[in-house]
Amino acid sequence: MEEQQGNSLPEIRKQLKKLLVENLALEDINPEEIKDDEILFGDGLGLDSLDAVEIVVILQRNFGLEIQDMEQGQKIFYSIETLANYVYENTRE
Amino acid sequence: MNINGIGTVFTRGRGIENFEEALIEGWVPPFQQSYSMLPDKSLPVYRVNKEYIVDKKLLKKTRRADKFSKMAVLAACDAVADSGLGADEIESAGIILSTAFGPHATTFRFLDDIMDYGDDGVSPTLFSNSVHNAAASYISSVLNIHGPTLTLTQFKSSFHQALILAELWIKQKRCNNVLVGSVDESGDVMQYICAKKLETAKDGKIRPFRFAPVSPAVPGEGAVFFLVSKQDRYKEYCTILSVTTGSSLINETTPDMYILDANGMGGDETGYLKFASSGAIITGYAPVFGSMLTGSAFNCAAGALMLKKQIKYKSPVQDNPHSVNLCLKTEPADIDDIICLNNTCNGQTGAISLLRNVDELFSR
Amino acid sequence: MNIAITGIGIISAAGKGINETLATFRSSAANTGQVSIFHTDLSYPVFEVKNFSSSSLQKNSQRTIRLAMAAAGEAAAEAGLADNLSPYRVGVCLGTTVASQLNDIEFYQKYRSTGTGPPEPVNRYLNGNLAEAVAQKFKANGPSVTVVNACSSGADAIGLAAAWIESGLCDIALAGGADELNRVPFCGFGSLGILSDSVCKPFDRERSGLNLGEGAGILVLETEDSARDRGVEPLLFLSGYGSAGDAYHITAPHPEGSGLKAAIKSALDDAGINSGDIDFVNAHGTGTKENDKVEGSTLLKIFGPELKFYSSKGFTGHTLGAAGGLEAAFTAIALKYGWIPASPGFQSIDNQIAISPITKITPVKGNFALSTSLAFGGTNAALVISLG
Repeated sequence: MEEQQGNSLPEIRKQLKKLLVENLALEDINPEEIKDDEILFGDGLGLDSLDAVEIVVILQRNFGLEIQDMEQGQKIFYSIETLANYVYENTRE
Repeated sequence: MNINGIGTVFTRGRGIENFEEALIEGWVPPFQQSYSMLPDKSLPVYRVNKEYIVDKKLLKKTRRADKFSKMAVLAACDAVADSGLGADEIESAGIILSTAFGPHATTFRFLDDIMDYGDDGVSPTLFSNSVHNAAASYISSVLNIHGPTLTLTQFKSSFHQALILAELWIKQKRCNNVLVGSVDESGDVMQYICAKKLETAKDGKIRPFRFAPVSPAVPGEGAVFFLVSKQDRYKEYCTILSVTTGSSLINETTPDMYILDANGMGGDETGYLKFASSGAIITGYAPVFGSMLTGSAFNCAAGALMLKKQIKYKSPVQDNPHSVNLCLKTEPADIDDIICLNNTCNGQTGAISLLRNVDELFSR
Repeated sequence: MNIAITGIGIISAAGKGINETLATFRSSAANTGQVSIFHTDLSYPVFEVKNFSSSSLQKNSQRTIRLAMAAAGEAAAEAGLADNLSPYRVGVCLGTTVASQLNDIEFYQKYRSTGTGPPEPVNRYLNGNLAEAVAQKFKANGPSVTVVNACSSGADAIGLAAAWIESGLCDIALAGGADELNRVPFCGFGSLGILSDSVCKPFDRERSGLNLGEGAGILVLETEDSARDRGVEPLLFLSGYGSAGDAYHITAPHPEGSGLKAAIKSALDDAGINSGDIDFVNAHGTGTKENDKVEGSTLLKIFGPELKFYSSKGFTGHTLGAAGGLEAAFTAIALKYGWIPASPGFQSIDNQIAISPITKITPVKGNFALSTSLAFGGTNAALVISLG
């Protein structure tokens, strides 16, 4: 099956990094400099609870994915890797 | 109480020195802002450019904040820096923010989300920023202020009520210092409403001394914050002797100078004439910063600067059909007291009475 | 501080007026349902004031203002004041959230698609500053201010009005808060993930969020002299007010409750009492994980495990700008009538909070009570109310 733009895991990671920087106003951060295993909260990117609910909206608008509750969200939002894996698993044909 | 520090963000930039330069320079033409929906129509506006609200250090904690909050944070931080007060004193300060319209531009962006993405697809960040006290919250977070915080919204005399409350908090010993200010923003919808409701100045000049039932306006936006303190602290700028609102002024003595809030946005301005005919020096600086219902705060900043520097700044627009004693030149002056006057269309008056730093007078 | 409370007016899903509200408190009747006053795709339960639609005369008046007028009318009547307050020096200080915004969706929809919008919503907004509108209706000629401090607006408005009275700026004040159910905050709170799909359970281990509500809670505050001059012997008093900020986050409370602690201390100091003098606390208790955890554990630290406290959100929902006003009113009424209701929705203690609200109607024995309000943006307010 031919990989389409945005469907491969590396493409999804790249897209997510860009979306996070733009939508969460991470002004000083270059998306390309975010590591693939970067932790999103705490000492990693330093995101907080308001960013978490904003990521829910990002997933909804850009990938058509719904997070049913934030406990599920906590695991998915752990790092770029877990987030990208979740998107990849739930959007690939 | 005393004014010990001032911070401003407005169409010409940021900082009290920048504000003073603008007062000295005088009137400059506003932008012609076209509407997003009707690009062939435009309105003169004194808007704040994005470059004036960039500050990587101060705004590090406010990456999500909208323009309204960023203007507020920068003006508040600059007022604190201007006052020289240390972090430990500021920690227990109070914050009072007054606004006429609040962060309406963000509210409309939130409505965009409802319409574009549905009730369950909206941005929580946009919603959080649309809540009126978000700006005060950002200020407290950036400056680590833990004292009482209050945001108030009025169309009439909001800045006056904020000053009155600041003085009450100080008298009640809730805090020794208060960051008190006003913020209002322009925006696409607000410009549309201004175009519908107001006579906009086709040549871009607000005329504060027309004293007419209808006067030309040029909408503006910006933020001003004052660091005010107990009476026995060193008075950096001046003393706020009294703040009154109501149908008559408490202090009937004519001051050295009246600064009039007339700006085309407050309705009938005929009520200013009786004060303008008093013989005091008359001026009004709305042509520099724009028409805002919270414009009193900017005029108060001008008054505080004049008392500190003992300079009078020329009226930026000098049309004087009633031949009042207008301030025509920027030059040194001996000014002891200034009243910043707001006269609303229903005859209500708001007056901020400023007094020169008396210690400085006696030390000469 | 010793300011007489001579009138109380309340309207919420729990009832119109004190009698209906007390009946609801006694019966623990459920007041939630689906939104009926505006269209939405969201199905979270809300606490709507029933049978409060506008007459043709009131069509141009915002719902929040009409709620405020209803409560202010009841309060003024109880205080022995008529509709025309012009013979007195009266201030009006009211808290709100939605009513202060220009957020009419119909107007904006039209503007967005055509570049023009109907003038009526704009005029309604420009004539609709809450405190200004109520002052005009009651011909109150003293100071008027609308406080927009999110969820502590009503309590902060009461504190501000008290400061006016103490300083002599007015002798009487209508003070409290009002807010309507509205699609904008409904969508907003939904997006924050803090609305519950079921009836809220303040302080309960299984709590899953708040329910929005609407209403108004307004007090008549005045100097003792003013009350006695009018032949009114005050029974209840506002004895203290405290306000402090968390300086932490735009939506989340400080995890250690630092602002709430400071606000409570300030209110107790204002009243000249200590924590042991407080008979009960009317807590903010919204039913969210964070608020209840912070508020509950802070109340435990200050007042100890034997504290009697409850949240009224299970009767009224979270009424946002009205909350602080309703909470103060309920606190005053509880002192006056001598009992506090069971905290609705609570069943199991949360070990992270380690304190439980009361679960049955409880008599009030002491003379002092505390009302607490925690707001978005980290503002915290506390009011001490007492029996004379």
